[in-house]
Amino acid sequence: MNERNESIHGVACTFRSPSDVFHAAEKVRDAGWKSWDVHTPFPIHGMDQAMGLPRSKVPRLTLLGGVTGFITGCLLTWFMNSYDYPLVVGGKPFWSPIFPFPVMYECTILFAAFGTFFGQFILNRLPRHHHPLFDLPQFARTSDDTFMIVLEARDKNFHLDESRNFLLSLGGQEITVIRE
Amino acid sequence: MSTPSAKISSRWTTFVVAGLAAIAVVWSLAINGAAEHNHRPVLSVLLGSMFWVSVLIGMLMLTMITRIFDAGWAPVIRRSWEFMIGALPLVLLLSIVPLAFIPSFRNLLWEWTDATHLLPSGHEVGHDPILQAKSWFLNPTFFLVRISLYVVFFGAITWALRRFSFQQDKHRDANLTHRMHAISAVGIPASAIMLTMLAFDCLMALSYHWFSTMYGVWFFALSIRLALATTVIVTYRLSNGGWLDGILNQAHRHVLGCLMLAFTVFWAYISFSQYFLIYTANIPEETFWYNIREFNPVTGLKSDWWGVSMYLIFGFFFLPFLSLLFYRSKIIAGRLLTIAGIIFVGGIFDLWFNAVPRQINNASAPEGFVVSPFLSGYLALDLLAIFGFGALVIGLFLRSSTKAETIPVHDPRILESINYHE
Repeated sequence: MNERNESIHGVACTFRSPSDVFHAAEKVRDAGWKSWDVHTPFPIHGMDQAMGLPRSKVPRLTLLGGVTGFITGCLLTWFMNSYDYPLVVGGKPFWSPIFPFPVMYECTILFAAFGTFFGQFILNRLPRHHHPLFDLPQFARTSDDTFMIVLEARDKNFHLDESRNFLLSLGGQEITVIRE
Repeated sequence: MSTPSAKISSRWTTFVVAGLAAIAVVWSLAINGAAEHNHRPVLSVLLGSMFWVSVLIGMLMLTMITRIFDAGWAPVIRRSWEFMIGALPLVLLLSIVPLAFIPSFRNLLWEWTDATHLLPSGHEVGHDPILQAKSWFLNPTFFLVRISLYVVFFGAITWALRRFSFQQDKHRDANLTHRMHAISAVGIPASAIMLTMLAFDCLMALSYHWFSTMYGVWFFALSIRLALATTVIVTYRLSNGGWLDGILNQAHRHVLGCLMLAFTVFWAYISFSQYFLIYTANIPEETFWYNIREFNPVTGLKSDWWGVSMYLIFGFFFLPFLSLLFYRSKIIAGRLLTIAGIIFVGGIFDLWFNAVPRQINNASAPEGFVVSPFLSGYLALDLLAIFGFGALVIGLFLRSSTKAETIPVHDPRILESINYHE
């Protein structure tokens, strides 16, 4: 890599049809690329496997949120009803797992939702107000009739000329270098 | 039809004969028990059949729900449900109908049908003001009318859903799909009312003082759970050398796993809510039902039913719930099968918990009654009854598979179902 690459985000290449971009994606995956993406106007079934994407890590954060919520609900009801201000209600124990269960599971759901929402925010590196791809005129067409593969410069496989030829060899139509 | 699946189907006579033999053994012990005024062996017949009635009603609901939502994944699995639900009328006719119509069985199981039955208080059932207030519903005549209605209704709806679906194999007529839409649109609310009343009559009315408006929903939740668990077990077998070999894929398992997770949570939500409301309101007509499921009235200590209820919480809810949270549990066939097995066994415990404990008069006990215990030799009889009705159901299921295509080859969504993708 030369110095000029410092300001290059990557290379974008358009494809004509879903099957073209699908098979190209499989070859990019097999070439060992990690930092790259496919942009299509609609979801293509099987693209996750074609790109070799692992399953999302968001469910783990959801579970973490849920467990945190459940413990919070337990502690909350125990602290309020049994420790800080014990009150006899209907002759029931100050704290038992039964009467505050709605509080406990509502907290579980709330925190699990927080885990999911903020988890995807963090994993997607949001909020992000601008992206170099937005400067590309062809990129707008990937929400209409164009399919696109973007190889990013931060990938260890990236080399401007080689990557450009690689994309052309996969059946790409129009190559554009994306500048930061 | 490929050879291995034809071989499976041809075994239907073995299953039917084994099932009928087991049912005959259970019935003969029930008849002996009734002669000695022992309700427990009679209850085994009810338990064994209610387990499978629950499975089949769950499959009936799933058949109609997937019809009305036009579920793309469903057709290849729905055909097996259609084969299975054909057994529902016969199961009812071999169990609940004779139990209800023959007074010596009916009076033992549903003690309110015998006005001279003595309560622990020493009064006769007929003089119980609580029963008198409910007698517009709980009277033997209306009871028998309702039992007959269940047989007619479930017989008719399963017949119609099977007939039109099987007709489509020959006629390739998409209008039949629309007709089954219409049947399901009417059938879902009608079946909901029927299964609610069936649960009221066959299980809740075993203890006529007690009432829970959530009981029908509990039965529905249990039915769907058991239906899904049975589906996973049956389709696992059928995808290893049966007619679903090479058809059932990871995405089908994923859907079944997701539904099992959803209805595990739903069952827990309903069961807990029922307990929670009764615990909070603390009304004696309601709390006694849970009290006899927790305490031994003679010693005042926790009884073996308390162990069963803990098993239901941890073994029937938390264990399947926590395992099904993980994606891999839903797609790896062996893991899903194990979880389905856990749910299947847990369902038996849930029925035991709901049907078996009852107050039995005993003058020497401090409160005038003892509670029938969980651990007894009759558990083996219950399991034999479950086996008997199960073998009958599986036998009739295999017999149906010789009468129609094993997957609905001309269903409009059959290709979508075969190529179903996550």
